[in-house]
Amino acid sequence: MARSVWKGPFVDSYVLKKAEKARESGRNEVIKIWSRRSTILPQFVGLTFGVYNGQKHIPVLISEDMIGQKFGEYAPTRTYYGHAADKKAKKR
Amino acid sequence: MSDKSDLVCVGAIAGSFGVRGEVRLKSFCAIPEDIATYGPLFDQEGGREFKVKISRPIKGGYAARLTGISTKEQADEMRGVQLFAPRDKLPSLPDDEYYHADLIGLEVYDTGGKHLGVVRAVHDHGAGDLLEVFGPGLKTTALLPFTNAAVPTVDLDAGRIIADPPEGVFPD
Repeated sequence: MARSVWKGPFVDSYVLKKAEKARESGRNEVIKIWSRRSTILPQFVGLTFGVYNGQKHIPVLISEDMIGQKFGEYAPTRTYYGHAADKKAKKR
Repeated sequence: MSDKSDLVCVGAIAGSFGVRGEVRLKSFCAIPEDIATYGPLFDQEGGREFKVKISRPIKGGYAARLTGISTKEQADEMRGVQLFAPRDKLPSLPDDEYYHADLIGLEVYDTGGKHLGVVRAVHDHGAGDLLEVFGPGLKTTALLPFTNAAVPTVDLDAGRIIADPPEGVFPD
């Protein structure tokens, strides 16, 4: 069942505080968070969060199209290496 | 043939398919059927050359014909053989786009010239590409966002990356 709209999106309060602090300082840093369940809000766009995957913090640069998703969706808990073959990486 | 270091693993043979000398081909390419366009392919030692013709898609890969393989017995013997394409057969890419195979193994330095490590793998979990870097003084690998801000320079000729990692990516 979907979450009731009147409650608004769920975000752990410490994530909001850390994001606000990072935005005010303007420093280029990874904001380490453990809350994979928190929703990505519009005020997080442009910040880089280190989302914990059970082992380490995966850097996630927040863009507009991630709003409404959960942080955990971008930090998988299992790593599959596979083959490089002809796969490409693009700088953002 | 190209130098062995210029070969990129693009697939493997999982065994025979049917009784007419076809093989079961696993493709590691981003678009699986592209494996046939990089031919001729080579084995790991680079001694044998195969032209690949994909017959049809099957469960877990493709049924394919390889030159020099005409019987089921020959196809059975090929089980486990990895297939390599020369690096120069891969199409050239626009600026700011790189093959994982080119990035893996590059040395990473910070803007001050300090050696940070070597690229071990490239990941994409949906939030942009990440370089997995392992270097001196690190207990585990560090993940470096592959962005213009964090990785301003990629010099493939010199085999090095100049990085300006955000605070917290590498331990102090």
